[in-house]
Amino acid sequence: MVVLSVAPAAADSDLVDSVAEQSAPQPPLLEGRGLTRVFQMGDAEVAALRGISFKIELGENVAIIGPSGSGKSTLLHILGLLDRPTDGQYLFAGVDTDDLDDDRLASLRNRAIGFIFQSFNLVSGESALDNVAAPLVYAGVKRKERSDRARDALVRVGLADRLHHDPSQLSGGQRQRVAIARALVTRPALILADEPTGNLDSHSSGEVFSLLEELQAEGLTLVTITHDQRIANRATRILRVEDGLLTEGDREAPAYLDHAERTRP
Amino acid sequence: MSYAEALRLALRRLRTNPLRTFLTTLGVIIGVGSLVALIGVGQGTQTALTSRIAGLGTNLLSITAGGSVSGGIRGAAGTASTLTIADANAIAKLPGISAVAPEMSVSSAVIVDGRQNTTTSMTGTTAAEALVRNYQIQTGTFLTDLAVSKGLRVAILGPTTVANLNLSPAEVVGTNVTINGIPFTVIGVTQPKGGSGFSNPDDFVFTPISAVQSRFTGAASLRTIGVSVTDPNKIDVVSSEITSLLRLRHQLASSTSSDFSMASQNQLLSVASSTSATLKNFLIGIAAIALLVGGIGIANTMLVSVRERVREIGTRKAIGARRRDIGRQFLVEAIIVTLGGAVIGVLIGMAVTGPVGNAVSVPAKPSLAGIGLAFGSALVVGVVAGYWPARQAARLDPVEALRYE
Ligand SMILES: Nc1ncnc2c1ncn2[C@@H]1O[C@H](COP(=O)(O)OP(=O)(O)OP(=O)(O)O)[C@@H](O)[C@H]1O
Ligand SMILES: [Mg+2]
Repeated sequence: MVVLSVAPAAADSDLVDSVAEQSAPQPPLLEGRGLTRVFQMGDAEVAALRGISFKIELGENVAIIGPSGSGKSTLLHILGLLDRPTDGQYLFAGVDTDDLDDDRLASLRNRAIGFIFQSFNLVSGESALDNVAAPLVYAGVKRKERSDRARDALVRVGLADRLHHDPSQLSGGQRQRVAIARALVTRPALILADEPTGNLDSHSSGEVFSLLEELQAEGLTLVTITHDQRIANRATRILRVEDGLLTEGDREAPAYLDHAERTRP
Repeated sequence: MSYAEALRLALRRLRTNPLRTFLTTLGVIIGVGSLVALIGVGQGTQTALTSRIAGLGTNLLSITAGGSVSGGIRGAAGTASTLTIADANAIAKLPGISAVAPEMSVSSAVIVDGRQNTTTSMTGTTAAEALVRNYQIQTGTFLTDLAVSKGLRVAILGPTTVANLNLSPAEVVGTNVTINGIPFTVIGVTQPKGGSGFSNPDDFVFTPISAVQSRFTGAASLRTIGVSVTDPNKIDVVSSEITSLLRLRHQLASSTSSDFSMASQNQLLSVASSTSATLKNFLIGIAAIALLVGGIGIANTMLVSVRERVREIGTRKAIGARRRDIGRQFLVEAIIVTLGGAVIGVLIGMAVTGPVGNAVSVPAKPSLAGIGLAFGSALVVGVVAGYWPARQAARLDPVEALRYE
C-alpha cells in the first residue's frame, strides 16, 4: 500500500518539525516574495522572472499557464529547489531557502518533492522498478524496502505488469506513469509537473491527469504547467505567467491562449 | 549513495553496453597483461643470468694471458704467451687460495667416436679444474692427480658434447675416441650447467694438461689460469697479491702495464645484474606506457559517457542526488572498468609469461610483485582517469542538465 500522507511524514522531517515548533498558524507550503531570475547570456541579461510573489498552501491543485518563453519553467525550477532566485525570497514550508546549502536542497528535493517532466526523463537501460526506486537510493533506504515501495508505487499507477520492462519497451503514457510512480515513491508533499502531457495523445493525457488528480485528492499538493486550458480549468487555482510576471488567473480562456496553442510543441 | 549502491549502479550500467565496456577495458587488459608478462620475463632474465654466472664458480678469479689496454696498444687477450705452468704453481703457494687450475686450450678439437664426430674446444688442465670452475661429475670420474702427473690420455666430456656424438653419458664412459687424430679414453661426463645458445658451458673436452702440452698445435703456453680463493670476501686482496707476484715473475717495470688481466666472478655478476636490471626497467617502462594509454582510453570513454548522460544527471539531481552521489557514481564506474580489466589482464599476463619467456629463451614465470605492481598501478590509473569526468558530472547545474538537448 502506498501511503500518500502529507506534510510531517513527507517533507524533510526536522525542517517540518522546526516549522511546527513556531506554533504560529501553519505557513504556506510555498511562498515567493518578489522573486526575480536573471540569466546572464554573455554580456546580455535575460530577465525570465521579474518580481513574483505568491503563496501556495498544502494540498492545493495549481495550474500555471502562460505563453511560451514567459518564465513558467524557470518558476517551476525555483519552486522545486533546482534553481535559486537572483533576487527576492523563496520560502519552503516557511524556511527561507537562501539559508539552505546545496546538499540540503538536494535532500529536500529527494524527500519533499516529486518532479514530472514533459519528456519523462527515465533512465534507459534500467527497469521501471529500478527507475522508480532511484530516489529511495539517494534517501538511503534499504534494498528490500526500496523494491517493495517501488513495486507499490508502480501498482498504484496501474503498471503492476510492467515492473521489469525497460522504458524503451513502454508507451509514452506508460512511461509518464512510471515517472509519476518515481515522483510519489518518496511520499512527497509536493508534485511539480512541467507539461506532463505535452508528449502524449489525448487518451494518455486523460489517464495521466486523472492519476495526478487522484493523488491530489489524497492530500498531495500539485503544481502543473500546462498549455491546455481544459486541463487548467480542472485545477482549483490558475496562475498566469506572462513576460516574467505572475497574475491570478481565472477559468475563462484568456486571449493569449490562442498564442499558446499556436506555439505548443 | 553508499559505495555499495554506486557499485551496483555501475555494474548495471556497464552490462547494458557490454561491447563498449569490453573495448574500454581492452586498453587496461593489454597494459596490465604486458606489465605482468614483461616483469616476469625481466626477472627471469635476471635470475637466469646470475645463476648461470654463479654456476661458473663464485670464488673464481680468472687470469687471462695478454695485457689489457696499455698506452693505446692492446694485445689480444689470451694470445700472448705470457702465462706458464710455473706461474700457476707459484700462485698456488700464495695464502688464501684453495686451488689453481692452469688451462691450456686448443680451440678446435675434432672428437671422433666410431662413426660419430663433433667439434668442440679442448682444455688441458688439472684435477683442480673441477673445484675452480665448479664442475660436478655425472658419470665416471674427473681428472685425477695421477692421470695429470703421468700424462695419461684420458678425457672428460661435457654433456652437450656427448649428446652431439649421439651417445648417452653411460655409453660414452670407457670408450676410446680420437681427438684431432690422437687416441684418448673417455673417463667421465660432467653434470649439465644449463643454459643454451652462445658459448654453451656444457660443450667441451678436458684432458690432463700434460697430455695436451706440445702434442697439439697451439698448445704451448697457458691461455688462462683459474684460481679458487678460500674466502670470496678477500678476493680483492688475493687478486692484488697475484698481480704483484706475476709482475715480479714477468719482470715488469713499474711503469709498464701488466701482460695479463684478471676478472673475478663478482665483477661479472654485478655487471650482469645491473645490465639485466636495466633491461627489466626498460620492459616495465614499455608496459607502463601501454597501461597509461589504456587509462587515457578510460578517461575518454568516461567523458563521452558524461556528455551522453547529461539529462540523466539532471534527472538524478532532481530526484535528490547530491554532487558527491553523482561524482561517486562515475568514479566507481571508471574504477570498476579498470579493475575488471586488471583482473583479466593479470590472468592473461600470467598465461603468456611462460610462452613469451620461451620465445626469448628465458625461464620466465609471473611474480607476485609484478602482479601486485600491475594491479596497484591499474587502480591508480582508474582513479585518475575517473576523477575528472566524475567531477564534471558532479558539478553540472541541474537546470542546465535538464534543459540539455
Ligand atoms: N539557462 C538559461 N539561460 C538563458 N536564458 C534562459 C535560460 N533558461 C530560460 N531562459 C530564458 O528565460 C525565459 C523563460 O524561459 P522558460 O523556459 O521559463 O519559459 P517557459 O514559459 O517555460 O516556456 P515554454 O512554454 O516554451 O516551456 C526565456 O526567454 C528563455 O530564453
Ligand atoms: Mg517550459
